[in-house]
Amino acid sequence: MVQYNFKKITVVPNGKEFTDIILSRTQRQTPTVVHKGYAISRLLQFYMRKVKYTQQNFHDKLSAIIDEFPRLDDIHPFYGDLLHVLYNKDHYKLALGQINTARNLIGKIAKDYVKLLKYGDSLYRCKTLKVAALGRMCTVIKRIGPSLAYLEQIRQHMARLPSIDPNTRTVLICGYPNVGKSSFINKITRADVDVQPYAFTTKSLFVGHTDYKYLRYQVIDTPGILDRPFEDRNIIEMTSITALAHLRAAILFFLDISGSCGYSIAQQAALFHSIKSLFLNKPLIVVCNKTDLQPLEGISEEDRKLVMEMKAEALKTIVGQGDEPTDSDSVLLTMSTLTEEGVTAVKNAACERLLNQRVEIKMKSKKINDCLNRFHVAIPKPRDQKERPPCIPPAVLEAKAKQTAEEEKRKTEKDLEDENGGAGVYSMNLRKHYILASDEWKEDILPEILDGHNVYDFIDADILQRLEELEREEGLRQAEIEDDDFEMDGTELAPEQQATLAAIRKRKSLLIQRHRMKKSTAESRPTVPRKFDKDKQYTSERMGRQLSSVGLDATLAIKRMRSRSVSRRGRKRERSPETRSADGGDGMDIDGDTASKKQRLSRSRSRSVSRAPNEVVPGEGFRDSAQKGKAIKLAKKSVKKRNKEARRGEADRVIPNLKPKHLFSGKRSSGKTDRR
Amino acid sequence: MPQGDYIERHRRDYGYRPDHFERKRKKDAREVHKRSQIAQKAIGIKGKMIAKKNYTEKAQMKRTIAMHEESTSRRKADDNVQEGAIPAYLMDRENTARAKIISNTIKQKRKEKAGRWDVPLPKVRPVAEDEMFKVVRTGKRKTKQWKRMVTKATFVGPGFTRKPPKYERFIRPTGLRFTKAHVTHPELKCTFNLEIIGVKKNPNGPMYTSLGVMTKGTIIEVNCSELGLVTPAGKVVWGKYAQVTNNPENDGCINAVLLV
Repeated sequence: MVQYNFKKITVVPNGKEFTDIILSRTQRQTPTVVHKGYAISRLLQFYMRKVKYTQQNFHDKLSAIIDEFPRLDDIHPFYGDLLHVLYNKDHYKLALGQINTARNLIGKIAKDYVKLLKYGDSLYRCKTLKVAALGRMCTVIKRIGPSLAYLEQIRQHMARLPSIDPNTRTVLICGYPNVGKSSFINKITRADVDVQPYAFTTKSLFVGHTDYKYLRYQVIDTPGILDRPFEDRNIIEMTSITALAHLRAAILFFLDISGSCGYSIAQQAALFHSIKSLFLNKPLIVVCNKTDLQPLEGISEEDRKLVMEMKAEALKTIVGQGDEPTDSDSVLLTMSTLTEEGVTAVKNAACERLLNQRVEIKMKSKKINDCLNRFHVAIPKPRDQKERPPCIPPAVLEAKAKQTAEEEKRKTEKDLEDENGGAGVYSMNLRKHYILASDEWKEDILPEILDGHNVYDFIDADILQRLEELEREEGLRQAEIEDDDFEMDGTELAPEQQATLAAIRKRKSLLIQRHRMKKSTAESRPTVPRKFDKDKQYTSERMGRQLSSVGLDATLAIKRMRSRSVSRRGRKRERSPETRSADGGDGMDIDGDTASKKQRLSRSRSRSVSRAPNEVVPGEGFRDSAQKGKAIKLAKKSVKKRNKEARRGEADRVIPNLKPKHLFSGKRSSGKTDRR
Repeated sequence: MPQGDYIERHRRDYGYRPDHFERKRKKDAREVHKRSQIAQKAIGIKGKMIAKKNYTEKAQMKRTIAMHEESTSRRKADDNVQEGAIPAYLMDRENTARAKIISNTIKQKRKEKAGRWDVPLPKVRPVAEDEMFKVVRTGKRKTKQWKRMVTKATFVGPGFTRKPPKYERFIRPTGLRFTKAHVTHPELKCTFNLEIIGVKKNPNGPMYTSLGVMTKGTIIEVNCSELGLVTPAGKVVWGKYAQVTNNPENDGCINAVLLV
């Protein structure tokens, strides 16, 4: 299975830990108590189980190791080669092979000893056989200890390899050491590669990501390559060669034309020609770096000739791809990573060439035909010969032009900052753009806190105006209050009004008192819904009495209340809508004397009256009340004997839990489990 | 620094915590106390394992200390010289004390009487017959009890065929048949896995020898052509005797020591 996530490999324990883990697991997970008085079959089973369990665990763990480590032949050849370069394929395979043999050996040991155990006739013999079996398995693991340590080291290193996707768009940077490859990648991506003046600062592959035309490209920085014969190359150089050989990427060959890396252009050109076989079928760009030290025009004649040779080689790669005009500018580019001129041009050129190549390849492949049928660019059919170019109003065009001119002209704060020393040195004057009534106030220092209050809370522009308004309101209200008070004086009322006022006040105070009492006893009093109101406070008679004492006519109110509280019974649907509609207009008029047909027909009851025992309720299924009475009698008779003898009834059923799980299973953390 | 070395990169970018070194120093100092606490509190198998490990460490430490304390200077060993003692090159055979001769003869006689061999394990625990054999009941009603099954490790030769099952009295199960032994050379102190050629003598009796039963103390003959031993005459030695030193039925393997 293709696997580029080497971080998912489980930790490989070293030999001693391995045996400790497995043996302690056996000791915990298998039964531990056995006596010599047990039946021989039980003893045998006990010890055989231990041997098998240990073998199974060893098998599982070793299999996990073997499966999780990638097989060098199954993964992408780039990773296969990279791992070979870094860890030596043979050692790797040998180590895994040793693990495999250990696994088989342990299986064989377990099989042999289980066979021997069958002839066991005493506890001592079985025990010693089990000890011998486990001991031999642990010796096998001890012998592969060095392999386990080696694999653990490899795993740690593999997990830290950069995650390079070999199939996506990639830009590869190569060249001599110290030519500026890492500075370039630092400039275009967020990778933070070490840049130092000595050669071979970069010792492994580094990955960064950059965007171009809404697509993500991986940029791979390689360690520098020296011009040596292939066999003499060391591991670091071999990683670059591997990347060059296996990744289908756009290649940026970096050239230091100033020679400050310590190698002349001739040497770099020699390297180019020695590895140009690796550049086949890949878009190649020769990049001349460090032009701030030495511009391209200023180099000597032979150097220039060498550079042109390289450019010719690179051109060949374009021409080979077909239908690309001699765009010689995009083959040889100059830039300087120090002054950052030309950096984005190089990146864009590389990304563009790579994209074009990939698109071409995709178009030529067979799979595209499946997709092409589904693409359809809809062009509206022209209905006449009139030309209809896009129409942009002139005002908009002018505004656009002005805006761009303005942007170019305007000096931004950031430019100011850069001028005056940068981010840490210069801090912009925030008060410069304040809009105030008088420009002289811009630089004034305003206190923020005065007497413990925020000054800003009290600042208001139209504060005087507001003060005036407030005062006016206050004056009005004062007048009002005086009027109200005037009304409320009791001496101006007529005697009956005084009496009613007194009655109202008394009632109000009564209510308040009663509410207070209720509140104080609220904790001990149960909250009972109103329908179980035993004090009979909320009856209709009481309401009638109170209303009449006040002087109102209560009869209609009582009727209405009673009709509303009809007990819920199945009511027959209205069959005659016309009679209803005749009343429809008056149906809403309840205060008048007409009650609706529904109310007249149904029986209105208030809730407090209980039902007669034999009364037939329409939903129950009895023919008449006599039948219902008989049914009730029969039910009571059947239950009488059981109740008299105080036997268990239907509601007294219980399903006991005779063996609760927590008491009958599991080991105890300390102590014995022979009492259950 | 490789891109994937997250720990070093973090250290390079942000450095250590202000109290990192202090904490590390204190934690390491606490390790000793923590270790002793765990060793005191651990019970059960874990406690035993910790105790064993600590004991081996302690023994090793004592040994190294003793080694260091050995003085490098060599002093003359000043033994008291007995009266009438003469150096070995002046000793004559005639001067041997009489008592020594007599005691030597007595010892010789005793040896011949006992019939003891000059082997690494001169004496072994005798194995009773009921320990050696298991009674196998046969017959339609399982009442016949004349068959016996051997419960110890056995050796049968390569050309061995059983007697017809109806007539065989001693059953030697296949699971208990061994063909190889782990033989240690007493001087070279290394162990080889050699094939067994035959059982020479079982100290428990001639019956066991003829059955090929191997218990502790049995003399077996092993194929030592791997060792490349040569007789003074120039012939290659390909078989030598060895004595079994463990209980093969308890360990599942035969460990023997070569009789040189």
